[in-house]
Amino acid sequence: MSVSKSQMLMLKLQLLHEHSLHRGQLKVAQCLCDELGFLASPVSGVDMDLKIEASLRHARTLLAAKQFSKAAAVAQSLFCMCYKFNLHVQNANVLLLLAEIHKKSGNAVLGLPYALACLSFCQSFNLDLLKASATLTLAELWLSLGASHAKRALTLTHSALPMILGHGGLELRARAYITEAKCYLSDPCFSVSENPDVVLDPLGQASEDLQLIEYHELAAEAFYLMSIIYDKLGKSNEREEAAASFRTHITALEDPQDETNEQYN
Amino acid sequence: MESDDGVQRVIPFQLQFDKPLASHVRMAEWNPEKDLLAMVTEDSKVMLHRFNWQRLWTISPGKNVSSLCWRPDGKALALGLEDGTVTLHDVENGKLLRSLNSHAASVVCLNWEEDVHLQTNGCGNYLSFEDRTPRFFPPAPRVPRMPGLVSGDAGFTEDGQDSFMEFSNSSNQRFNILCSGHTDGTLLFSIFGIFPVGKINIHSCRVPYVVQNTQTMCRLLNSSIVKVALSKDLSHLTVTCHGELVEDSTELRDGQMGGHCMRGLHCFLLDTSIFQKRKKELHQVAQQASNIDDLREVARASISVMNKQWSDAMSTFHEKFNSLSNLISDHGLDSSPQEEFLSLLLGARTSPPIHQFLVNSLGESGMKRVSKVVSNAGKELQLVVLNHLQPAAEIIAFRMGELRGFSRWHARYQGIGLDEALMDCAAEKAGMLLVQVERFMRVLSSVVQQFSNFFTWLLKCIKMLMSEPSDQLLSYNSELVVVFLKFLYDQDPVKQLLDTSEADHHIGIDMETKQRVRELIQFGGFLDAEFLERTLAKEFLQMELSFKEAVGMPFSTISKKIICEKFLLLSPLTTLPSYVPISLSYYEDPSRKVSFSNGQGNLLVDYISFQISDDDSAYIGKCIVILRGLTNVHERINMGENSIEAVLLSVPDGYYCVDLSLYKESQIVLLLNEGKDTSDSSGNAYLMILQASELPFSQISISSHINDWELHQLKDSILHLKIESEKARTIPHPVISPLAVSASRGVACVFAAKKRALVYILDEDEEDESSDSE
Repeated sequence: MSVSKSQMLMLKLQLLHEHSLHRGQLKVAQCLCDELGFLASPVSGVDMDLKIEASLRHARTLLAAKQFSKAAAVAQSLFCMCYKFNLHVQNANVLLLLAEIHKKSGNAVLGLPYALACLSFCQSFNLDLLKASATLTLAELWLSLGASHAKRALTLTHSALPMILGHGGLELRARAYITEAKCYLSDPCFSVSENPDVVLDPLGQASEDLQLIEYHELAAEAFYLMSIIYDKLGKSNEREEAAASFRTHITALEDPQDETNEQYN
Repeated sequence: MESDDGVQRVIPFQLQFDKPLASHVRMAEWNPEKDLLAMVTEDSKVMLHRFNWQRLWTISPGKNVSSLCWRPDGKALALGLEDGTVTLHDVENGKLLRSLNSHAASVVCLNWEEDVHLQTNGCGNYLSFEDRTPRFFPPAPRVPRMPGLVSGDAGFTEDGQDSFMEFSNSSNQRFNILCSGHTDGTLLFSIFGIFPVGKINIHSCRVPYVVQNTQTMCRLLNSSIVKVALSKDLSHLTVTCHGELVEDSTELRDGQMGGHCMRGLHCFLLDTSIFQKRKKELHQVAQQASNIDDLREVARASISVMNKQWSDAMSTFHEKFNSLSNLISDHGLDSSPQEEFLSLLLGARTSPPIHQFLVNSLGESGMKRVSKVVSNAGKELQLVVLNHLQPAAEIIAFRMGELRGFSRWHARYQGIGLDEALMDCAAEKAGMLLVQVERFMRVLSSVVQQFSNFFTWLLKCIKMLMSEPSDQLLSYNSELVVVFLKFLYDQDPVKQLLDTSEADHHIGIDMETKQRVRELIQFGGFLDAEFLERTLAKEFLQMELSFKEAVGMPFSTISKKIICEKFLLLSPLTTLPSYVPISLSYYEDPSRKVSFSNGQGNLLVDYISFQISDDDSAYIGKCIVILRGLTNVHERINMGENSIEAVLLSVPDGYYCVDLSLYKESQIVLLLNEGKDTSDSSGNAYLMILQASELPFSQISISSHINDWELHQLKDSILHLKIESEKARTIPHPVISPLAVSASRGVACVFAAKKRALVYILDEDEEDESSDSE
């Protein structure tokens, strides 16, 4: 019972961290992340899972705060630690994180090798879900390299979709939907007016999922895309609705209300 | 094959042999991949012969076999039985692989077609889904054997099991569909022959027709299917059936008689393009779902085997111990056996009945026997769980998860009816089953341990009562004995979990566990927090139910998407004959290219050939009709024509057609008998090949008026068939149907009325020795 209690606590902290990252409450996220770190024993080489989890989350918090070089530094040192203790699964995770950092910092070309390295790790260790999310990151990287890569990105996204939809969390699923829609939208051969459902369907799904987890940043993106599509289709009512949702999420993101945070402590 | 002086003639079709048969053959089909001939005799035995007529195996399915066909890869033979069952048999030994009974009407015809278009490595590649199960799980468990049933030959069944397992591994198969036609007009489609995916009744197809200058809908009544053929790209199905076409009663206005009835041989063209358009999705779903079906069978058998074994052991135990309560009442006491045991344990006293029971009626050896029975049963149950039930439940849960992943991809899978909510529910149930199995394992091991503790104590008591040394014995835990007497002596928690008849039994769960289950919901646990109160058997039943519901959706969705595209009266008949020689096939037309989603291919042209039987020859006479291009009608409608191509061949006088078969490259093989009709069986017969594509086809327009028989337009342009001028060979016996022709192997088997089988190689000619000697 006691073991499962501490595990529950760990899970709770992880969920809370995730949630505050989504809501943009970075200070809270950092506190939770530190708390998670304190759960681990101070002895070196013990509770490695916890320690790695904590610094992985630390790097992600830095990434959310757009401190790319700091985040990359944490991730690099984490990579060294994983390498030292032969933790391959965590290694793959760190590689994916590095790819994400480069993607967010706008250096898509630098991100590609990390994503590919993560993919090959996943392949040899049968980490199918991680592989699917690495594939998604790869697709996002290609897409950010320009519209000419949209077809390739779409193929990659589609290959990862069954896995992500079946086993991935809401955030991952929503990201996949948005990427799919973006691939279609940036493809010059695609016409929104011909089959709007191809893009509106995934975006609707994504916005639903994102509202559940209060991931303001991505939700705002989904609604932004939706309102542009509705605008193109000439459906002004729907456009206004999507735009209003976009505004609520953007304001929520820029002005994180910390008072709700009390309930967790 | 030029002859120098015209004396030496060449006889087409090399005769391989002419062998006697034990009994008449009703049906025969060549294996599409190997030179093997499957035959069904009059007494419903199924035989498989090699090309050299060596018999490989014979089976008798017990019921009347009404149709047969091969799987396109030639590794399995499908038999349609009179009760509507379709059974699949291994080509190697005839072992029953699968039996499907989804419609209870005799199977008249079977057609198994494989998708011909190879998957290219182009853009379609990303959907080629990998079955991940073998990477994460050991081979799927098999159905546990019922104890006490000794199989005849252990080694043999093992082989059968292997092919059974191999059969369910459909990932390396190409997409194929088995279509079965039943007597009541139902057509059933199943992917890989095991996963039913659609159903349509031709009686429900409504055909637009003009009756007395008004447009109305007509339906077919009292029809029975004769033959079906799926096109090689799986997007069309040709159905021929006998029946009466009448006005749909819902369309009839008051006071009007629905007297317009067209009885005869009809032909439907069904649009099954959903199979072609959604083949990858269907392939993946069928693969997962059919595997889950097999595993459900394993789990069900495991539960019933365990239930049987455990109840047997418990009845032995109760049989022995029930005599104690009789002894107690004989001694005039009104206490229960548990109370007596308790007082013995706590050292209060040893009452005479318990003394008598332990020392005389049970005794040391009897006690040891019961103890052994119970512990053996416990061990057996544990083995069944470990080797069968648990792995099956794990793989079911995994595969359900894959299906759930598909169902969430709305854009792609909603089209085939995979529903997210239903699939979610089924996946959750599968997860619960896994937890239930885990709990059952715990309950079982604790019960087994309690029993052994109780028996250890009893043994010690018996030794003491008999004043024998008891220090060598194992020690026991007296607290556990008390618990045993209180909770297990006359209750059976193991049986409660297993017995389906007690499925509504409610299991008490303590508050703390309930609380934790509820807490887990927030972390993504099962939404139904009450699942621990159900029994294992109940959970299994619920899982089955929700799975059936989830896969029932694709079934009904696909069924709705199969629609009647075209209807044609082939020949009007006053009485329905028992047998009409008919053959349906699709040929690739190399001169016309069409583009598919993944590349180019040749246009498929459908051919229907049949004989107009004698009694309706008032108009035309004894003719063989060859029709083609029914599938391509639509293409021509756009060009302003609603017509198909047909040719009529009149059979020479003094002959009648016994059977015909469409052969490769638009050729048609005819089997003619000398004589007036089927009752007249004397004289010779002819086997001949016509090049159908070279016949003078003429276009006829399809009428929209009822009672119009389109083929009548060709009355004046009947082509007279001359045996001498065609590629034909005399058969020195009168012959009977069937004619078995293999397009892929180029062989034909003809059955003579005098119980003989003759096999010809159609591609090779034979030097006529008799003409040599002349």
